[in-house]
Amino acid sequence: MAYLLIVDDDDDFCAATAVVLRKFGHEVQTESSPEKALARMENRLPDLVLLDVMFPEDDSAGHKLARHMRCSSEKLKNIPLIMLTALKSDSPLGFIDCGTNDPDLPAVYFLEKPIEFNTLISKINSLLA
Amino acid sequence: MLDNKPDQIAVYELSFEKPDEAKSKAQPDITDESLRAPLLAANAKWFCNLRWIVISILLAYEIFGQSESILSFLGLSAPGVWVLVTVLILTVENTFFLLYTRKVSDPAKTMANLWGQIVVDIMVLTAVIHVVGSLETAIAFTYLFHIVLACVFLTRIQSLIVTILAGTMYCGCVMSEHFLEILTPTTIFIHSSENLTNLSQPDVIAWKLFMANGVWLVVWYLASRLSSMVRERDIELAETNRRLAAAQEERTRHMLTTTHELKSPFAAIHANAQLLVDGYCGELPDEAMNVAKKITARCQRLTTEIQEMLQLANLSSSSQRQNNWTRLDCAVVLHWCISQVESIARKREITITTDIQPFTVAAVEDHLKMLFVNLIANAVRYSHQNGQVRVTSRVEPTGQAVVTISDQGIGIPPDKLPKIFDEHYRTNEAVRHNKESSGLGLAIVKQVAQMHNIKIQVRSQVGRGTTFKLFMSEALKKTATHGLTNKDS
Repeated sequence: MAYLLIVDDDDDFCAATAVVLRKFGHEVQTESSPEKALARMENRLPDLVLLDVMFPEDDSAGHKLARHMRCSSEKLKNIPLIMLTALKSDSPLGFIDCGTNDPDLPAVYFLEKPIEFNTLISKINSLLA
Repeated sequence: MLDNKPDQIAVYELSFEKPDEAKSKAQPDITDESLRAPLLAANAKWFCNLRWIVISILLAYEIFGQSESILSFLGLSAPGVWVLVTVLILTVENTFFLLYTRKVSDPAKTMANLWGQIVVDIMVLTAVIHVVGSLETAIAFTYLFHIVLACVFLTRIQSLIVTILAGTMYCGCVMSEHFLEILTPTTIFIHSSENLTNLSQPDVIAWKLFMANGVWLVVWYLASRLSSMVRERDIELAETNRRLAAAQEERTRHMLTTTHELKSPFAAIHANAQLLVDGYCGELPDEAMNVAKKITARCQRLTTEIQEMLQLANLSSSSQRQNNWTRLDCAVVLHWCISQVESIARKREITITTDIQPFTVAAVEDHLKMLFVNLIANAVRYSHQNGQVRVTSRVEPTGQAVVTISDQGIGIPPDKLPKIFDEHYRTNEAVRHNKESSGLGLAIVKQVAQMHNIKIQVRSQVGRGTTFKLFMSEALKKTATHGLTNKDS
C-alpha cells in the first residue's frame, strides 16, 4: 500500500482514477492545482505523484511542478512521477509537443489520456516495486 | 499578480487596441536600417573583392605593357609609373578596409568604411581618368559603377552625394586640363597623343561635361528609384513574414489547447466508463455492460479522430520553412513506426516482416512518422486475421530510395483507387472490415507526401491485398543540397 497524489484539474478524471487506485489498496489524495499539490507535499511526502501537464491558468504548470520537484527541491526530487497528458509526443501531431522530450524533465513515464487503468496500475506497481 | 485581500477592490480594464498598435508595442519595428545593417557589412567586403579585379587588370596592363609588340598591336602607350602607383594605393586601401570590415561589426562604423572606400575610389579613379584620357576615352563612365552600387546599397540622398562627388571630380579634372591648365592632358592611346590640348573647343568641352553629368544624374535617378522600390518591398515582405510567423505560432498554440480541451473530457468519460466495465462500481447487467463498452470504444475512436483532424489541419496550413527539416535515417524511423503498430498487429495475429535497408532522407521527423504509421496501421487494419504485412526499404541502382508497405488484405476496387486519398473517403468494403477509422489517415499521408515530394504508387487487387510504393528520390536530393542537421531518431 502506498500514498499516491493525483494532480489534475479534471475532477471527474481524478475521482474515477482514485476509485481504481483505492481498490488496489492505495491511499489516494487528489489536488486540482500544482500550487495546492506542492503545499500538500510539503506536509506529507507522497510515494508517487500522478501529474497532469496542462492546467487552466498555465499550459505548462505540470511541467513546472515536475521541474521544481526534480531540480529545485531536495525533499521532492526522488518521488516517482507519472505525467498524464492529452498531448503525448510519441503520437506525432505534426506540431510541437508540450516539451515531453525535454531532457531536463526526467519524469519516469508519460501516459497519454485517455488512459487504460490496467496500464496505469502496472506502471505504478513497477515504480513502487 | 492580484493581491486577494477580502477588502481590496481589484480593477481591471479590458482595452481594445487596434491590432497594429498592439503589435507595434509587442514587436520591434522592421526598418530599412535594421534590414540593411547586416547587408552593409557583406557589401563592404564585396566592394573589396571587386577591387582585387581592378588591381589585377592594372597589373596585367603593367606586365603585358613590357612587350612593345603587344602595345603597338593594341595601340596603347607604355604603362607609366602611374600604373604601379595606382596598384599600390588600391592594394593598401583594400587591405586596410578588409581588415577593418572583419574587425568592426557596428553599423555606423561599417557605413564609415563604405564611405571611405567610395571616396578613395573616386579620387583614385579621377587620377586614372586623367592619365588614361579624360575626354578622348569613355573611361569617365566607370564612375557609373560607383553611382549604381551606391544607389543599391545606400539611401537616395547618400547615392546622390556620391553622384555629385563623381561629377565634381570629373569636372575638376577636365577643367584643370583644358581651362586652368594645371594638368597636362594625357592619353594611353599612341595615335592621338599629340594634339590633346586642342582636342575640343571650350563650348564643346562644356557640352561634354554637361552631358556626362546629365547621364550620371539620370542613371542615379532611375537606379535609386528602382532600388528604393525594391527596398520598400523588402521591408513589406519582412513584415509580412514576421506576421505570418506570429500567426503560425498562435495557431500552433491554439491547436495544442484545442487538442487538450477536446481530449480531456473524453479522458474523463473513458475513465468513468472503465469503472463500469471493469466492475469497480459493482456487477452490471449484460445490457448495461454492452453500453459501457460501447462508450469506452467510442471515446477512444473520437480521441483518435480529434488527433487526426488536428494533424491534417496542421499539415494543410504549415509551410516548408516553418517545419524543422532534418536528416533522418529512414530505417530508424520505419522501425519506430512498426513498433507503434505492433500491439494492434498482435491483437489481430498479423505478422509484420521487414527487409529494411538504411538510407538518409531529408524530412520533418514528425511528419514522416505520421506517414509511415498511417500506412503500416492501414495495412494491419485491412489485413485478414493471421495475415502478413511486409515493410521493405532499399536504394535502387538508379539512386532512387523506395519504401514498400504491402498487405494481403481486402484490397481496393480499381474504380475506388483514385479516391482513397480524399478526406473522410472510405470504401464500403473498408467500412465493413473495420468500423474504427476516420478516413483521414490517407489524407494525412497525401499531405506529407506532397510536402516531401514523395511519389506514391498504389497497386491493389480485391481480396489479394494492397501495396503502397513510396519513391523518395526528391528527399534524397534535398539531403545533398540543403544544410540540414543530422538527427538520430
